[in-house]
Parts: sequence; structure tokens; C-alpha cells
Amino acid sequence: MDYDVLVIGSGIGGMESSIKLADMGYKVLLVEKEASVGGRMILLSKVFPTLDCASCISGPKMSSTINHPNITTMAFSEVAGITKNGDGRFTAKVREWAKYVDWAACTGCDACQKACTVAVPDQFNANLAARRAAYIAFPQAVPKKAVLQREGTSPCIGACPAGIKAHGYVSLVRSGKYEEAFQLVLDATPLVGTLGRACYAPCESECTRMKLEGPVPIRLLKRFAADKHYSGQDSGTPAIEVAEPNGRRVAIVGSGPAGLTAAWQLARQGYGVTILEKRSTPGGYLRHAIPAYRLPQDVVDADIANLTSIGVEIRCNVSVSDPEALKADGYDAVIVATGTQVATRMDVPGEDAEGSVNGLDFLAAVSNGAAPELTGKRVVVVGGGNVAMDAARVSLRLGAREARVAYRRTRAEMPAHHVESKDAEAEGAVFELLVAPTEIVTRGGLVTGVRLQRMRLGAPDASGRRSPEPIPGSEYTLDCDLVISTIGMSPDPTPFAALADKRGRITVDPRTLQTSIPFLFAAGDVTAGATDITRAIGSGRRAAHMVDRWLTAQPLDGFTVLDDRLETISADTVLARQTAFGHRHPVSGDVTLTKDPRDFTEIEAPLTELQARAGAGSCLDCGVCSECQECVKSCPAFAIRMDQRDQLHDFEVGAVVVATGHKLFAADLKPEYGFGQFPNVITGMQMDRLLAPTRPFNSVLRPGDGKVPERIAYVSCTGSRDKTVGNPLCSKFCCMYSIKQNQLIMGALPLADVTMHYMDMRAAGKRYEEFYTQAQDMGAIYIKGRVSKITEQDNGDLLLRYEDIEHGGHIVEASYDLVVLAVGIQPNRDVDRLFGQTPLGLDEYYYVAEPSAELNPGQTTIPGVFVAGTASGAKDIVDTILHSGAAVAQVAAHLEHHHFTEEALV
Amino acid sequence: MTQTLRDPREVIREEPLMHDPILRAVASGPATIGEIAERIGHPVHEVVYWVMGMRRYGHLVEGTEADDDGFFSYGAVDQGPAATLEECEYE
Repeated sequence: MDYDVLVIGSGIGGMESSIKLADMGYKVLLVEKEASVGGRMILLSKVFPTLDCASCISGPKMSSTINHPNITTMAFSEVAGITKNGDGRFTAKVREWAKYVDWAACTGCDACQKACTVAVPDQFNANLAARRAAYIAFPQAVPKKAVLQREGTSPCIGACPAGIKAHGYVSLVRSGKYEEAFQLVLDATPLVGTLGRACYAPCESECTRMKLEGPVPIRLLKRFAADKHYSGQDSGTPAIEVAEPNGRRVAIVGSGPAGLTAAWQLARQGYGVTILEKRSTPGGYLRHAIPAYRLPQDVVDADIANLTSIGVEIRCNVSVSDPEALKADGYDAVIVATGTQVATRMDVPGEDAEGSVNGLDFLAAVSNGAAPELTGKRVVVVGGGNVAMDAARVSLRLGAREARVAYRRTRAEMPAHHVESKDAEAEGAVFELLVAPTEIVTRGGLVTGVRLQRMRLGAPDASGRRSPEPIPGSEYTLDCDLVISTIGMSPDPTPFAALADKRGRITVDPRTLQTSIPFLFAAGDVTAGATDITRAIGSGRRAAHMVDRWLTAQPLDGFTVLDDRLETISADTVLARQTAFGHRHPVSGDVTLTKDPRDFTEIEAPLTELQARAGAGSCLDCGVCSECQECVKSCPAFAIRMDQRDQLHDFEVGAVVVATGHKLFAADLKPEYGFGQFPNVITGMQMDRLLAPTRPFNSVLRPGDGKVPERIAYVSCTGSRDKTVGNPLCSKFCCMYSIKQNQLIMGALPLADVTMHYMDMRAAGKRYEEFYTQAQDMGAIYIKGRVSKITEQDNGDLLLRYEDIEHGGHIVEASYDLVVLAVGIQPNRDVDRLFGQTPLGLDEYYYVAEPSAELNPGQTTIPGVFVAGTASGAKDIVDTILHSGAAVAQVAAHLEHHHFTEEALV
Repeated sequence: MTQTLRDPREVIREEPLMHDPILRAVASGPATIGEIAERIGHPVHEVVYWVMGMRRYGHLVEGTEADDDGFFSYGAVDQGPAATLEECEYE
């Protein structure tokens, strides 16, 4: 047996039970769902009727709980289920939630919360103010340790094949931390400016804001951060931490996004990295295929300069075909990232005639200053992918009279990104759909046209798209001067033929990217076929990670960037957090499209600073923590552990104490009182927070405008003794906490008038009646009669309508600055699921049943399971402690009767 | 004052976005929440959330006493350069 007793909940009932049992020598496991013990009591201002400081009473008990040698406390954990074993013991399954902070290292200094860029309502301040996603529960927390609130991977991050923390840099831009946003992307890849322009932004497709009015402009925010950086004084200097040289050398063949990213990651780890590029300039398709109107060359230059600034050597005009030779040259490992360089042939007559080119060669020639003269010419582009759109648009910019895109399926099946095809059309490209080339028509060796056959769609093929089928007898000729073939591309199998499959792709282990030659890895499109920039970057990151693991003799695993992300949180879960969403005008890019464009000027304008902040401000913080890494950077103890995960533990125990406390009535269920509609209507718990030394405001202020209130009203029995909300029970302590607050307010705000509207004053406890009288003597006014309605006045004051029972029963209206609803309590239904198939018995009001409350208080319907405190019904603090004592005695009797304790291991 | 209150979570989420406008609003000296709200063009009850969040995390500090109307003034803790944005309205 692991523990004698499991105590669930560390409010005053749970702490009292744990301490007493531990003092008796029993081994106690205390499980608390929050990051601190203490429950609600520690959050109160003072306690009645003594007006002792709640912290002063709770604090020592919290400390005793945590430090008692017989108590093991699992904070930030939940009991997932309890089963009773055949011998009378229980097996409890406890889920220890990941805190993402190493509590052994955390000093509770609060640097992480100050650095955090995500603000959320602070449940420990009754949602009156903000806390951060990185937070310490409250100032007196025991243990005083930070946790990160992570509710999953944000969809934008989850959608990124490059593993770039989109939510993080959005959050940083929202906070005005532009350089930090740039650095966060830079941590993944040097191609920040490139991605800000040429990425197809799968993050935006998955953005939860898409389900409202439109996505956060994530890609453009990245561009904004990159432009800010590159235009600033820091541009060109090493922008990121680089390890000392480790003496190992890695060769990377190819300088596209995969190769550049792999080089970046390895160089930062201290490797001597050399990139070997076949062409005369580095960049791969970024430079040689993507036209400048989408991706200016100077942006590619700036991104590549990130690499050279940290010592990466780039050798151009170098062809590699023998990796062994590189090994012989002293390279410890080689990564091949040569992409897809071979254009797929159409295999039609006339394809090799002058005036028939493939798209890759055409675009490369244009990028390298060898653009063909197309003024007044007619161009037909065969294909429907992004390269086809680029070829058509480039043709128009080179002066072509017309650019027709001939595609064998319909627009719906077109593989080009929908934005690319739409923009191409807007610039004047004409789509010839459901046609396939059968011949390039030539005269005198020159292209004069292309013979096309009309197609129709048949059954879906392996890709799920409907297969085009020729329509017999439907051929026709389209006159043109240039045919550009863009029907596909594949890796060049020649240099590494022994490693290539039949499609020319280098065969690798998909998780390690290692080839059959141990020192040789491959990344990007050369392994996967033509994909996109983000996938190539993700592959480059993976290859770099695995090369490092291999060279340091570690197992080829641990690529947490993509392989160990938290489950992506669903949009429905995110949207369910709020009752309503305000409309925000979506911020999107300003793209200038003109028909028949004639220059290569970048077509998309950058966001202004205001647009960037507004766009970032629309982020819904789906995963809560944005993964911006500011806490990681700020923590002096290096305690942040983003790789922590929930852990499940099984414990065998001899008895269980349920001390799960209560819930507070949701005051908005009494709409006539205006909670949630009028900012100056608050709950009793909120007032207790305003009165506490660790209050969320600097004084007792009304939330509507920050004014010190002078006329404060209390409305008792809000949500209790009220059949209209399904709770006929008295909550027992609302009258007294209201009186307590009445006195405290008169102490804190000597000029304030305090009035309580009550039904009955229930002061049944030792010195409670005297406490009530004392409040009256101090000047508090008590009016008998239920408040029927609260309305708000233009200045935020509140008009209470009530029946003045003791003065003739008249309907009276009175104006106040602030109204406090003395909310009652409700059962905590979390206990329902604790015991699975044999649930704990509940009474008719859903509190834990005590079948023999008079004779055996604390006993429940399950032998060996006991209840302490308000889990079994309304009790004030004094009664909770007494009830806990009773439960402790029952537990001890049970354990001694069954002789379980002799076997306790702890 | 009667108006539809936005969900507090939505308002609080915007706090980081509002730091610069609020710091600009108090750049020339401490101001009450009502004054800040007027300067940045947002509802005063929303500005309460933002000011209290900024106060909690060390960006703003209150004066020692409320004025005759019962309002405290809040000023920047760090009297460094004012925010550079020309405007404060983001929505």
C-alpha cells in the first residue's frame, strides 16, 4: 500500500484532515488541482467573527501541509478515478498535470509572469483582473512555484510543417516586441523574410479566427517582423546565440530552404558547415524559381546573410556526386538537399523545338537576368500548379500579348494555391481548362502553336481527383510563340543513383532522414518530391537535429519540434471559452494587381505598424500559452520545461477523504441583478478579493470606472434559498461574510455608506450575533426585503428596487455606487466521476451524502470513503474544521479496524 | 453608461496590445482611468482591466490618494521614451 489515506482537495477541510491524520502517524497523499494548496480560504480578506487575517491563519496550515513529513502533496494534479479493490483498499489514478516548469529549480521569482505576453482572466482574483499564461497562483502560494497554462498546441503552430511558433510571434508583435518576434522565427530558420512573403500560410487556414470574421494575418506579421529587423541597425550582425565551434564539419549539398535551414541549425550548434551549391548563386527555388514580384531577391539575400554572418560557408558552382569524397575531405556528415530539379516532360511531338521550354528553366533564366524577349508574343503554359501561375504571370511581365494556362482538369482540381490562380487571372492570364497537349506545332523548327485535346472528368484517381479522359475528335490548335511546360518536377536521380527510388527520390528513414549510408542524410523535396517551403524547412530542421544526434552518438530521436507537440486544441474548445465575440475587421494584405503588368515590383504591400498590431490583436490565444519563449529567456533558474507532459500515477490507499469543497453560485443566472451586464455589480467573492491585502486593485474600487465607491449595497441570498434557480438551501455563511465585508469596508473607506438588503439575518454561531450588532453599531444599514431588480444609470450607478418590509412594505428604489451580490454555494459535481461505476452517494441536492450524519459524520455511502467540509453541504470555516476532525476520526477508526496501516510503504 | 459588456476574457486578452496606447496616454503625467479611457477611445470599464493588469505587472503605479471625486491617478513606472505610435486606436 502506498499511502494510508488519499485526501482530495486542499482547502481548509482537506488541509485540516491531512495534518491531523499525519500528526496521528498516517501517511497521507494530498491531491490538489490548483498549483497551490489553500483552497478558497487563502483568497479571503479576513474571517468572521474574529476578523483575523485569512492569510495569517491559512498560511501556517499551508506550510504545515506541504512540509509535514507524513504528507505527500501533489499540487496541480487531479484524481482521475478511484476503484475499490477486493481487500477493501482503493486504487487511485492520479493525473499530474504538466506544469512546464521544473519546480525543483523554480524560485518563484515571478520573472516568467512579467515576461509573458498572454493575458487571461485571473481566477484567483475572481476574474477582476488579468494574470498571465505563465503564472504563480497568488502571492502567498504554497508551494510558490510557477506554471504555464498550456491547453494544447495552438492550431497555427500545429499546422506549420516547419514547426514555427506562429502563435508566439503573433503574441510578440501584439506586445510590440518586434525584434523578439523576428528572433523567434529565426530560431527555426534563417528564411524569415522569405516565409513572410512566399509561404502559403497553412497556419492561417487553421486559425480559429477563420470561424469568426477571418484569420489573423500570420504570414504578414512575420514579414512585418522581418522587414523591421532588416531595415534596422541590427541587420547583418549575428542575431542569435551560436555555440563555440565543436570541431566537427558537415557538408550540405544544395542551398534551397531545406539545406539553408539545416545549415543554420547545425552552425548554431558549433558545427563547421559548408553549403555546396551547383548554381552560381545560393537559394534554390527561392532565388531561381519564385518570381521577384512575390519574393524580391534582396529579401533572399538578407535571409542568406543570416547564415554567412555566423560563419556558414557557401560554395557555389560546385557539383557533388560522391558523398564518400566529401567524407574523405574531412566532413563528418553530409546532408543532401538538392530538391526537385528535373522538369517532367510532356512526351509529345515537338517538345524539344525552339520555343518550347520547361517552367523551371524559364523561371531560372528570368531570375538570372536571361529572360527571353516576349514582347507581343503569345504564351501557352501547360499545367495547373503554382509554377504554371508563376510562368504565366512572368510572361505577362516580359511583355507577352497573352498568357494562356492549359490545364487538363477543371479549376476546382487545379493544384495551384487558390490565391495564385486568382491573382494570375486578375493579371490577365487566361485559363484553358479540360485540355491536354498532344503536340507542339512547329514550322521551320520554331513553335507556332500547341495542339490540345479536350478532356472530360472521369472517375477519381489515386489522388482523389477525378481523372481527365480524352474526348475523341475534339483536338484543336492554339496558336502561340512559346510553350512553357510545368506539369511536374522530380529530383535529379543522377548524382545519388544508388540511393534513389524509381521516382528519383533519395530513400531515407522518414523520422531520422538517414540514408543507408550512415553519415549521409537527405532532406526536403529530394526525399519527398515537390512540396513547399515550410515542409522543406521542417525537413531541414529534422535533418540537422538527427545529424547532431548521430555525431554525438545519441539515439536518432528527440525531434520534439514536430514529433512531440501537444495535441492541437480544437476551434470549438477555443470558441466555447467566451459567451460572445466582438467583431474585428480582418487585417489582410494589400495586393496590387494590374492587368498585363509590365514590371517585377513586389505586388504585396507590407503591413503598417498599426495594421500589424491590430492584426496580432485579433489572436484568440487558442493554446493559451503562445510558446513565445519569453519566459524561457527570462527565467534566471532555467526552470521552464516546455517538454514536460502529464503523468498518470496509480496509488494504493487504505481510505479516501473527499474534501472537494463547493462551487459558488453563478450570479449571471439571476439576470435581474445585472451581473455580467453592469460592471459595478460584483459578487461577494470579488469584494473579498478587493478587500484582501493582495487585492487586484490598489484599493476598493468599482470595476466600472475605478472610482472609490461611497454607497455600497449588498443583496443577500443571491442564488440560495431561491427555488427559481433550483437551490432552496441556505448557504449558511453568506450573511456573515457580508457582515464581515460591511465592517471591513467601513474600515477601509470611512466615508462609505454600507447597506445590506436581506431576507433573514442568520447569525447562528458563537459570537455571530454580536458581530452583526457590531456592524450595525459601526453604521451599516440592514433593510429587510428582497431586491427585485437592479438597473444601471448613465453614470454607472445602480438603482435597486426592493420591498421595504419593515417600513410598510412599500416598493422603494435606491441608488448605489456599487452592488455586491452575496452569492450562495452549490455542490461541486466533480465528485460524481471520482468513483466510476460505483459512484459516491449524493443527497437530493447533490452534495456528498452522509447516511448517518448525526451519529457518524463524515461517513459516506462507500465504506472507507469519508467526506470533510463543504463537499457534504454548506458550512462556514469553523464548522468545516470541526467536520474535518470528525472525518479524521472516522478514517482512523477505519484504518485501525482493517489493519491497513501496517503495510504502508511510505 | 448602459452598453453591452464584452466578454472579460476578450477584453483582458487585449491588454498587451493596449500597453503602448495607455503609456502614451500617461506620458505627460498621471491620469485617472476615465481620462485614460477618453484619450485612447475605449470604454472606461475595459480600461480598468488594462490599467490594473499593467499596475500588477509593473508598468503603472497609482498616486497616493484619490481625488475629490474618488478617482486615483496612474502614471508610468518607467518614464522612458513614450510609445512611438501616432495613434492609439487599434480596432
